[in-house]
Amino acid sequence: MSERIAVTIVVNGERRMFEVPAGRRLLDLLRVDAGLTGTKEGCGAGECGACTVLLDGLPVTSCLVLAASCDGKEVVTVEGLSGHGGRLHPFQDALVVHGGVQCGFCTPGIAVAGAAALARGFQDGEQAARLMSGNLCRCTGYDKVLAALEFARENEHGSE
Amino acid sequence: MARSRAPQPGPLGGRGPRPDAAAKVAGSTRYVGDLALPGMLHAALATSPVASAWIRGIDTSAAGRLEDVAAVLTADDVPGRNSIGVIFDDQPLLVTDRVRMVGDRFAIVAARTEDAAWASARLVSADLESLPGVHDPDEAMRAGSPGVHGESNVFRTFRVARGDLGRLRSRAAVVVEAEYHIGGQEHAYLEPQGCLAVPEGRGRVTIVASCQCPFYIQQGVARVLGLPLAAVRVEQAPTGGAFGGKEDYPTEPAACAALLAWHTGRPVRLVLPRELDMQVTTKRHETVVRHRWGADRQGRLRFAEVETVMDAGAYVGLSTVVAERANVSAVGPYRVPAVDVRTHVVLTNNLFGGAFRGFGAPQVTWAAEATMDALARRLGLDPVEIRRRNLLDARHRVTCTGQRLAGPVLAREVLEQAVALSGWDGRTTPADTSGPIVRGTGVALVQYGCNLHWGGQRLDRSSAVVILQTDGSVVVRVGLTEMGQGNLVACQTIAAQALGVDPTVVEVWQPDTTTVGDSGPTVASRGAHMSGLAILDAVARLRTRLDPVAAELVGCTPDEVELAGGRAFAAGDPARGVSVAAVAAEMASRRVETIATGFARTRSRRFDPSSGQGEPYEFYAMACHVAKVSVDRELGLVHVEEVVAAHDVGTVIHRDALEGQIQGGVVQGVGWAVSERLAVDHGRLLNPNFTDYVIPTAADAPRVRIAVVESDGAGGPFGAKGIGEPSFIPVAAAVRNAVCDALGCEVRRLPMTPQVLVETLGDRHPFAWMVKSGARVPGPGDVEACRLGDSQGPEG
Repeated sequence: MSERIAVTIVVNGERRMFEVPAGRRLLDLLRVDAGLTGTKEGCGAGECGACTVLLDGLPVTSCLVLAASCDGKEVVTVEGLSGHGGRLHPFQDALVVHGGVQCGFCTPGIAVAGAAALARGFQDGEQAARLMSGNLCRCTGYDKVLAALEFARENEHGSE
Repeated sequence: MARSRAPQPGPLGGRGPRPDAAAKVAGSTRYVGDLALPGMLHAALATSPVASAWIRGIDTSAAGRLEDVAAVLTADDVPGRNSIGVIFDDQPLLVTDRVRMVGDRFAIVAARTEDAAWASARLVSADLESLPGVHDPDEAMRAGSPGVHGESNVFRTFRVARGDLGRLRSRAAVVVEAEYHIGGQEHAYLEPQGCLAVPEGRGRVTIVASCQCPFYIQQGVARVLGLPLAAVRVEQAPTGGAFGGKEDYPTEPAACAALLAWHTGRPVRLVLPRELDMQVTTKRHETVVRHRWGADRQGRLRFAEVETVMDAGAYVGLSTVVAERANVSAVGPYRVPAVDVRTHVVLTNNLFGGAFRGFGAPQVTWAAEATMDALARRLGLDPVEIRRRNLLDARHRVTCTGQRLAGPVLAREVLEQAVALSGWDGRTTPADTSGPIVRGTGVALVQYGCNLHWGGQRLDRSSAVVILQTDGSVVVRVGLTEMGQGNLVACQTIAAQALGVDPTVVEVWQPDTTTVGDSGPTVASRGAHMSGLAILDAVARLRTRLDPVAAELVGCTPDEVELAGGRAFAAGDPARGVSVAAVAAEMASRRVETIATGFARTRSRRFDPSSGQGEPYEFYAMACHVAKVSVDRELGLVHVEEVVAAHDVGTVIHRDALEGQIQGGVVQGVGWAVSERLAVDHGRLLNPNFTDYVIPTAADAPRVRIAVVESDGAGGPFGAKGIGEPSFIPVAAAVRNAVCDALGCEVRRLPMTPQVLVETLGDRHPFAWMVKSGARVPGPGDVEACRLGDSQGPEG
């Protein structure tokens, strides 16, 4: 029925080709076509942030991005945050250690958004909270999420 | 029993990663929406867009003709009973003759793709004849109003009657009369409702569901399919938040998916789109509370009259149970010599009232704490001081239901802890009103009845299985669920503590109805409590077989065996011991049984529902919150800066999980207090999305400071009490009292949106001359104005 569009996307470091209908969301390409179900759909309207991925290094809500618009771009999902040998990203590690995970459904988006916040840098807790305010969490009250982010930042600085 | 043994050093009360955290953070935890099976179909629902109508006919022919559609089913296709009410038989799975709420199901569809399923569902057409609905609970209560089910809309009225009201009314020096309008609340769990039904052949079915209560689903699906309970296996999927919203509701989607799987012979997955989820699932009850409370000149409460009207929506669901808790919680942790409480469950065609963290207690607490502040103001007393003069304590142990509290009564302790930590200073409203920002402080308490109310005590039991593996690792199965609150880590900690092993060798698996007995619902802050007690019972039984083997290896008598640090040793002689793993291996080689079951139940209690006198709960947890707010009195915007939360927890099981529950409860309470408004028009939710229904973000969360009061004597595992609900209940009340302190006025509507505050200020609003009178009810267009604080996107 609908025309299919060929796109080439680097997903978590791997160059992959997909043929998608014009209306396909990046979220569905990732979850269905690429089989990467770590990225979650919480609202489908760009509000909750559970589907956050990095698109060319910047955090986006993948439910609002058309897959066809991602040709030639690079996407990093929660599965791609970990480094070689499956080691977790320092922020993922910190979320585990600092109790920043409860039901876990928002967690992949939080992990990606937090990694982006660390890469971008932030001045203080208030700015960190603003950077994370695109990701809703209904369980934790955010305290331990932000504590984990601060811990990850300090540790990164410590290891430089 | 294991509890009689001397406590050993162990993980109890410590911190440490949750067992489920690493997979969740890596994105490898598979929720229902991530599951796919060969040949799996996707389900969709055809639901009513109107709240009240007669159904002349339902036409599914066009829906069935659509490509990729495998089945379109209506009530005629139900092999068992077309009924899913959890307590009362008033709610059909699929409607036939009458629509009573928006979301009533005409038909259900299974198709090869999700898109095809929902496209097909949209083609189901129902021929409806308009029927006036009833949308105002007060109107619904009047004789002659249209009956939602044909008779009186007042489904139940609960009472608490105690003391000589006439005599004590005359002793009151001040009387406060008030009417409070308290809005509902959406759970806003991040994972929408979902389930997967798998036909197993031979008349059996497996349901994998995001849920709190696998045993409710088991019963509902068995009823709808006409199967014995044993033929329905329900496995709890990792559950992305629940808060009460996945107590009874998941039976509906599970029964839909099961019916479709039954007819097609294929696995069927159903995940609700957010908008439908928010429209049709249960909500915190919208409630009106009317008060007449009196106190003497010293501020001692003399009497309290309370009338509470809870809007149940069109089906009873759990509303009677919610109202039971609201009813006996209506006067808080205060001693009141004469009490007359009436709590009505009223049917309307509005949103479906149901379970939500606190279960009726938050609404009546909000009202009670508002009235306490009003009395204090009338008497010129500090809000903390009037509470001090009325709290239940070691000398005044009798509650409004006539229950004499056993063990430590810690209301006073949590109040003083909160006062100390918050630096409460016998506050006065700040004099500086030159600028738009004013600050205030508010206090609120709750007396939370732990576990299920007397009315549900037949369900208050729990089952566990503990299996010591041959390598010394341990499998634990319980019947109560993990939904984010931390039941897995609590059970892991309790089992590890009882067996004296490291938590990392204990694996707690998600509940499955084929592995443990019906343990009732995971609600009422009973998860860790009831599963923990069952685990301790199982460990005690296991040790009747383990200890003799260990004793032989160690060279002592079985009753001298102690377990700690991963080792079995003779009491007082840890050096001469063997590892628990070695004991496990020895048990295996001797063919000693290494699996044990455990069981726990709450103490049976007496209660007279006609007078509301007796023991509604086994024991109670007290909590006190102090909130500090700043309010922009021009814009009516509230910023909650800090909440101090002091909690009577018995014993801390896992400190990170405890803090996480309190922090999360506080932020959810802040949302209900200031921004989470359900805009409803004729039973239709106008803001079924996170754009217009605004829950707090990281930028809106207050600083949360926690004080924990531990004590001996409570009945939970190692003396623990539940924390899930007490962490939420006082929040909105404390915030409300702080807002009133800041503004110097009385707010009687919740949530306290800018519109509510500006209207409440009335003539005292800085721009009162500009504010037009008369514009009372906010419409959907101004929901955006309720947005909390400064929320910006990732690049903000």
